[in-house]
Amino acid sequence: MEGDAESRSRLRTRAFLDGLSLMKQGAEARVYRGRFLGKAAVVKERFPKAYRHPALDGKLTHRRTAQEVRSIVRCRKAGISAPVVYFVDYVTNCIYLEDIEESTTVRDHIISMQQCGKEASNLCALADKIGQVLARMHDEDVIHGDLTTSNMLLRPPCDDHNLVLIDFGLSFISALPEDKGVDLYVLEKAFLSTHPNTEEIFRALLQSYSSNSKKSGPVIKKLDEVRLRGRKRSMVG
Amino acid sequence: MTETYKLELFPDWKATLLLFKNVQNSADLRRKAIDGSIDGTLLNPAMIVDPFQILVAVNKAIHLQMLGKMKTRTLNSEILFNLSPTNNISEAFKKFGLADNDSGVLIVLTEDGTKKSQEIISQIDGEQVPITALTEFTDIKKVKKMYKLTAQEEKISTVLEAVLCRMSAKDVV
Amino acid sequence: MTIVVGFEGSANKIGVGIIQDGKVLSNPRRTYITPPGQGFMPSDTARHHRSCILDVLQEALEEAKIKPQDVDCVAYTKGPGMGAPLLSVAIVARTVAQLWKKPLLGVNHCIGHIEMGRLITGAENPSVLYVSGGNTQVIAYSERCYRIFGETIDIAVGNCLDRFARVLKISNDPSPGYNIEQMAKKGKKFVELPYTVKGMDVSFSGILSYIEDMSHKMLSSGECTPEDLCFSLQETLFSMLVEITERAMAHCGSQEVLIVGGVGCNVRLQEMMGVMCQERGAKLFATDERFCIDNGAMIAQAGWEMFRSGQVTNLQDSWITQRYRTDEVEVTWRD
Repeated sequence: MEGDAESRSRLRTRAFLDGLSLMKQGAEARVYRGRFLGKAAVVKERFPKAYRHPALDGKLTHRRTAQEVRSIVRCRKAGISAPVVYFVDYVTNCIYLEDIEESTTVRDHIISMQQCGKEASNLCALADKIGQVLARMHDEDVIHGDLTTSNMLLRPPCDDHNLVLIDFGLSFISALPEDKGVDLYVLEKAFLSTHPNTEEIFRALLQSYSSNSKKSGPVIKKLDEVRLRGRKRSMVG
Repeated sequence: MTETYKLELFPDWKATLLLFKNVQNSADLRRKAIDGSIDGTLLNPAMIVDPFQILVAVNKAIHLQMLGKMKTRTLNSEILFNLSPTNNISEAFKKFGLADNDSGVLIVLTEDGTKKSQEIISQIDGEQVPITALTEFTDIKKVKKMYKLTAQEEKISTVLEAVLCRMSAKDVV
Repeated sequence: MTIVVGFEGSANKIGVGIIQDGKVLSNPRRTYITPPGQGFMPSDTARHHRSCILDVLQEALEEAKIKPQDVDCVAYTKGPGMGAPLLSVAIVARTVAQLWKKPLLGVNHCIGHIEMGRLITGAENPSVLYVSGGNTQVIAYSERCYRIFGETIDIAVGNCLDRFARVLKISNDPSPGYNIEQMAKKGKKFVELPYTVKGMDVSFSGILSYIEDMSHKMLSSGECTPEDLCFSLQETLFSMLVEITERAMAHCGSQEVLIVGGVGCNVRLQEMMGVMCQERGAKLFATDERFCIDNGAMIAQAGWEMFRSGQVTNLQDSWITQRYRTDEVEVTWRD
C-alpha cells in the first residue's frame, strides 16, 4: 500500500519536473527552474546512481538531501547567504529552493574578469569577501565539503560581491580544525585548477579567512599539514 | 475577496484563504472545527507573514497525507502543525490556532474551495477582508520570537524567508 | 625500431619487461607473498627481489628472443615506492646499462601505469583512475602534465583492502585483493560503513579503523559473515572511487576513463565504473592482471616514450626516490 503511494508520488513529481526547464545536469543531481507556489524556484533532484548498491545509494542520497537542508538553514541563521528552502521531498529526494535570479557563478565571474583584463584588485576584493564568508561558516562549524568556485553565486550586480553559497550535499557539522583545513584544501585545489595563475588571489582569500575567523590559527596549520601530506605521502603499500 | 491558489504539485487540489476581522464567534467556530462541521484550518493571523507561508504548509500537508505520513490526525491540523517551527503538536495549536476571543481569523480551505467557502463564510460573525490586508494582522515581534530569528540572519533574510526555512527544515534540524 | 627493457620492483612484485615499438615482447614477473595476517617489509622484499631478478631478466631476454646488444635503452622505476626494493632493482638496471653500454632512464611508476594502459587499451585522452596498494589518484592530462584532480587524503585504497585482509587473516596468495574479490561474490548482506568523499578527494582511514574495531564483534555475534564484510567494503570503497572519477570527468569534460593499478583488475570495480560510463555516454578502458598489476613492461613502455622524445638519465642522476608525484614529471612525449 505504502509502496503504491510512493510510486504515485514519484509520478506526480516527475510530471511536475517535466514541465520545468532543465538548468543543469550534474553527476548526481538535476537542477530545474520554474515556478513553485507562485514563486521563482529551482528544484534540485538527486537521482539514483545505478553503479551503487541500492542500500548504499538510498542512504547516501537521503543523507545528502537532509544534510543540504540542515546546513543551508544553519548558515542562514548565522547570516551567511544560501538559497531559501521551500520544500523537501524525501521520497524523490527533491529540494525546492529559492531561485537566485540573474546570478553568476564565481567561476564564470573570475573567468570573464580575467578575459577582459581587469586585474587583480577587483578579484582580490572578491577573494576578500569569500574569505570572510568561509570564516563565518567555519566559525559556525559548518564544513561545506565541496567548495569550488562553481558552488558560489553572486547576486546581481556582480560587482557588489553579494555571495551566496550553494550545493551543501557533502556538508557536515564539525568543530575539528582538521575538517576545516581539508575544506580549504579542497577549495584551493579546485580554485587553482579552474583558474590558472590565481595563486595571489587565493592567498588574499586565505589572508582574509585568517583575519576574519576566530579559530583560524589551528585551521591554517592543518591546511599546511594536509598539503604536505599529499606531497610527502610515501605511496608505499 | 476570497483568494484561491493552485498547487503545482497537486493539480487536482486548490487552497483557498479567507481573512476576517472583528469576529465575534471565534469560540463557536473553534468548536465547529473540532467537531468537523467546519472543514478547514482556523488560524490566528498574527503569526502569518504572507500567504506563501500558508501555501508551503498546505503543500507539505497534502504531500504527507498522500504518503500516509502525517504527524497529526487530519489534513487541517497538519497544515497548522506545518506552520510551527517545532515538532510539539500541542504547542503548535496554542500558538497558531484560533483562541476563543480572537477577533482576527484566517481560514484555510483545501480541495474544492469554491463550493465550501460560501457555506463557511456564512457561519462567521465578522467582516471579510482581502488577503492583502494580512500584514495589518501580523504581529512581527511575536513571529520573530516564535521562530527565533537572529539579528545576523535578518541582515541577509526577510522575516518570511527565515520562517520558511524553519518550517521546511524542522524534520531534520 | 626501438627496444626498451624495463625493470620494476617498487613494491612486492619484481618484473622485467621488454617493449619494441608498442609490442610487448616479454613481461615475466615474480611476487613476494607473505603469510596471512602479515604485510611485506622493505628489507625482506628487497631480499626477495635480489634473489630472483637475474633469473627474471634472463627469462625476459629469452622469451623476447633478443640479445643485450639489441636493446636501445634500459628503463627502471625511479619511484615512488619502498626504498630498499627500489634500490635493489635500480642497482641491477645501472649495472646492466653499463655492461651493455646502453643509456639509462629513470621512470615514474605511476606514469608507467598510465602509458601501459593507454598502449594496451588504445584510450586516447582518458581520465585515469590509478588505484593500487600505495596510490589512489584521479588523473587527467593537460599541458604536458598528468594533473592530479582527486586523490586520497590519507591511505591508498589497496592499502585499506590489504590491511582489512590482515584483520580477517585472508590469504595473501595470489594477493589479498584478489581473495577479497572472490569472497565478496558470496556476500549477501550490505553492512553500512563510513563513506567519505570530500570534493574530488577521498579518505579511507575512517573506514579502515571502523572495520578494524567492529569486524570481530559483528562476526562473533553472527550479524554478518566475512563474505558480507568483503562485499560491503568493496561496494563502499568502489562507490567512492567511481564517484570522484565521475566528478573529475564532469570537471574536465572528459568522455573516457582508464583504470590502472593493481586494484584496477578488480572486476566489480570495472563493472561499477562501466555502469557510470554508460550513464554518461562515456567509454571505459581497463586491462587485466597482466598489465594492471606492477610489471616490467609498463616501465619499458613509459621509458620507450621518454627515450623517443629525447630523454635519458645520466648515471650520476640515476637515484631512486620513495616520493615522486605523478604531476612532477614533464610529459615531453604528448601534445
